[in-house]
Amino acid sequence: MAMRCKRCRGAAVIEVRRHNAAFCRDCFFHYVGQQVTRAIAKHRMLAPSDRVLVAVSGGKDSLALWDLLLELGYRADGLYLSLGIGAYSERSKRVCEEFAAARGATLVVHDLAGEHGYTIPEAAGRGGRSSCGVCGLSKRYVFNRAALDGGYDVVATGHNLDDEAAVLFANTLRWDTAAMARQFPVLEATHPGLVKKVKPLYRLAERETAAYCVLKGIDYVVEECPLVAGNTQMRHKETLNRMEEESPGTKHSFLFGYLERAAELLRVADVAELAECSRCGMTTQAPDDPAEAPVCAFCRSKARLVKPLPVVEVTAG
Amino acid sequence: MLVTARLRPPDRTVEVADVRRVADLLGRLDVLPGAVLVIRDGALLTSQDELRDGDQVEVRFAISGGA
Repeated sequence: MAMRCKRCRGAAVIEVRRHNAAFCRDCFFHYVGQQVTRAIAKHRMLAPSDRVLVAVSGGKDSLALWDLLLELGYRADGLYLSLGIGAYSERSKRVCEEFAAARGATLVVHDLAGEHGYTIPEAAGRGGRSSCGVCGLSKRYVFNRAALDGGYDVVATGHNLDDEAAVLFANTLRWDTAAMARQFPVLEATHPGLVKKVKPLYRLAERETAAYCVLKGIDYVVEECPLVAGNTQMRHKETLNRMEEESPGTKHSFLFGYLERAAELLRVADVAELAECSRCGMTTQAPDDPAEAPVCAFCRSKARLVKPLPVVEVTAG
Repeated sequence: MLVTARLRPPDRTVEVADVRRVADLLGRLDVLPGAVLVIRDGALLTSQDELRDGDQVEVRFAISGGA
């Protein structure tokens, strides 16, 4: 027998097992909107007058987020960072541009190679970080800086329930309490050099953001980043998905239990002193040795990736 | 009865015989239902939806890796 929508009893198009529910198209949109509105309200993520910068990659999560924020009436511009990953980056940028054009929305484009002198494929295997590590670091830096320079109040990212559960899983396996302390649906701007960061999709599974795009007719990049295959987060997601299949709601309980009962305890313990990077002026953690000049992780990584050109003396005659 | 399934990413196509419902197809493909969307003619299918002979469906993985 065909599945029925939990709200209207019409024919369902998607099942959400962790909520013991299935929805038709319209009721699914209602459910998604409700989850996002609830996330925003619970954590006071956005004020109606806020200028929001949505970090978009061309993937399902960030485009679903941008679409939802525009539908909810927020002043949301998109920010696309070109990472220089060949045809994949070109297609991603085009998808974001087409999304923005169709809605009359503003897309701000930044380019890692043009502005900082390296691409992610060039960074792979150099400088001590994985390509995903350099990519994440570069994105966090550029998003924060672009938001500050552009006068935005908030940066919104498309992190979903699966992303957050996988990151928490990885951090827990290592008992990386400092990283856990920073994992929350909202990070306030605790310093003039830091912009507030929010994750309005953290209540939605990634299968739901993909379904939202399919049902809404949002063209997103289905292909996976060619550099990401087999990375740690993918492996952790597969492990969690196997557990979820046996016991629906596992990921939700893991993440929400942490957010509701443990996150606060770790946040109190994590009181890092902040300073201005001596190279770029952005906010970073103060070094343990007060005599040492603070240098942020992005500038340290960039120095390893971008070698200064050798100086060649040219003599006349 | 034969169903053609296009799985992506990465893109590959397989033919599967004698599967009555979407759940049977995913079981035969050894794919977790919670990790994919199944799409036929642009419409989403649930695990209980019935398949027909000659159906062409897309099994789209909804898992993406991040930094």
